[in-house]
Amino acid sequence: MRVVIAEDAALLREGLIRLLEDRGHRVCAAVADGEALRAAVAEHRPDAAVVDIRMPPTHTDEGLRAALDLRRDHPETGVLILSQYIETRYAARLLEGGAGGVGYLLKERVADVAEFADGLARVAAGGTALDPEVVAQLLRASRRADGLAALTPRERDVLARMAEGRSNAGIAAGLHISGGSVEKHVASIFGKLGLPPSEGDNRRVLAVLRYLRS
Amino acid sequence: MDVTGTATAGAAVRAGIRAAVRAPFASRVPAEVLYAAVAALLGLAVPCAVLGFALALGMVTPGHGENVSIYGLVIAGVVLVLAATRLARGVGAVHRALARRLLGEDVRAPAGPPAAARGGRGAGARGAVTRLVARLVAGLRDGLRDGPGWRAAAYLGLKIPLALVQSYALTCWITGLVNVSYPFWWRLFRNHAPGVRLDPVLVFTTLPVGWFHVATYAGTFAAFAVGAAALLAAPWVTRAAVAIDRPLIRGLLGPGRLAQRVHDLELTRARAVDDSAALLRQVERDLHDGAQMRLAALALHLGLAKEKLGHAAGAPDLAGVRELVDAAHRGAKDALAELRDLARGLHPPALDNGLSDALATLAAGSAIPVELVSDVPVRPSPAIETIAYFCAAELLANAAKHSHADRIAIRATEQDGLLVVTVADDGVGGADPARGSGLRGLAARASMVDGRIDISSPPGGPTRVAVALPLRA
Repeated sequence: MRVVIAEDAALLREGLIRLLEDRGHRVCAAVADGEALRAAVAEHRPDAAVVDIRMPPTHTDEGLRAALDLRRDHPETGVLILSQYIETRYAARLLEGGAGGVGYLLKERVADVAEFADGLARVAAGGTALDPEVVAQLLRASRRADGLAALTPRERDVLARMAEGRSNAGIAAGLHISGGSVEKHVASIFGKLGLPPSEGDNRRVLAVLRYLRS
Repeated sequence: MDVTGTATAGAAVRAGIRAAVRAPFASRVPAEVLYAAVAALLGLAVPCAVLGFALALGMVTPGHGENVSIYGLVIAGVVLVLAATRLARGVGAVHRALARRLLGEDVRAPAGPPAAARGGRGAGARGAVTRLVARLVAGLRDGLRDGPGWRAAAYLGLKIPLALVQSYALTCWITGLVNVSYPFWWRLFRNHAPGVRLDPVLVFTTLPVGWFHVATYAGTFAAFAVGAAALLAAPWVTRAAVAIDRPLIRGLLGPGRLAQRVHDLELTRARAVDDSAALLRQVERDLHDGAQMRLAALALHLGLAKEKLGHAAGAPDLAGVRELVDAAHRGAKDALAELRDLARGLHPPALDNGLSDALATLAAGSAIPVELVSDVPVRPSPAIETIAYFCAAELLANAAKHSHADRIAIRATEQDGLLVVTVADDGVGGADPARGSGLRGLAARASMVDGRIDISSPPGGPTRVAVALPLRA
């Protein structure tokens, strides 16, 4: 996998390069601001970009703005946003296009190296990787709590992991249940929320998120 | 007196003479002279105009055969009371503008006059008369209630004698210049044939002795001397005449003490709110870019190390793991140091034991030797101690950065119910609150609790900054 990294803190940037190279990925470029990120992606056309939200010069949301531009200009490049905070508004803007290939994780998730790498791989493949924190906030913020109230606790767990962007197999491994029962839960969730079942992780997640946001 | 004492006294006298000779050429003199001229003119013209108006109205109004009619004067009185506050406000505004432009005395305008009461509606001619009377009464009432207007009127009254003083200052300049010119034109106009006697020329002085006569060229030098003396005295007279005016303008043409106080409190409150918001933003930024980032990197390094330990079923890559754990260890220590600095920046722990301890800690950490004297018998409230501490810390940092001093002295004492913290150094001086934001920030911080800062830092040094704060916030 070919990756571009945009992160202004040198310590973390080096750490990310090391993490990715240890796992056999190629880091084409590691930059420290939004402009350089746009240029690097245009030049290298990587499979994925790992982007910090707060970067120079304003230290507000230039990473996010660059990420939105990348989604529009280079849809084949997956964008994984890293941030020390979760802003539901940012997540919503990222997911607005509905095309997948986006992720939004807390920075501390890089500590779980394997999971982080999996998430990045999903994003590069056009799937999603949403932080459990994002999902939890979206669930809390959902105005259709009546629909959610009908879910059993187990179904809620499954829904949350679905929203993070995991496959049925991933959900089964995470919850220590069989793939068959995951499929049953998913079907039941879709039924209770009135969502048509569809192919692929990504559409599934987006359907869930659209439902949560509506 | 010993020799060095004589030398010092001599130097002081020389410095005094230098100051006196330079005074007429000081840069602020033209502005002060211009102010005295315009203010004196205005100060005399307005009362003359008022008096003239009253007399004129008295003369044109029919009376009982006297030159000046009583009715006319009464009517003039009523008209003046109606117009006095408005007139005084207008003229006061001109004085304020003059003082701002020429003296740098920035006095805010007082609140506007009380809203004019509207007369009740009536019908027909009788209604119109009633309305007029009601308007008149309301106008009188509003005029009488207009505090700032009357204060401005009081200013105009006090201005009459003051205008005379300012006129006197102007005559010092004028007679001085004229008298100094005598020796220069004497030969041009007095080149008469021998034996012809001309009348002596009058020389006015600004002194009570009045004038004297000059009949010879040699005599013109007496006029020159008198003129030069007047020119040397003129800037001081001008300054004195203007100096009397300043507090009057502030006190009588400003918004009044209570309104000014409210205004000041509003300003300092807004500043306090902005300050705390800015501080929180800064803390968030420091945490985000500092400790949080370091801890994230630390977690990443540990995660990588864990991977290396867990992956290979056989021999783990110990060298790689050691390197990663090293990096993590370093990161943890850096994060701790950063958090400690951040916490200390928010509230120095030494302050819990009182200002003296905190200042001692501060002094001990200074690169330039600090001599600390702390004598505060009554402990100030925590907020005051905190402000005093941060002022001292900022001043110490300033001294270390800019002063090139060899020694710094910090004194914390109680004087007349105030906590006074003085930071003095023997450095190069030239600290200017207009340029550095640091000193301005200190002044803003002190003003939040009605404290003040006195800065003395002539070019060449030494610098001495005194922060005076009330003991209780």
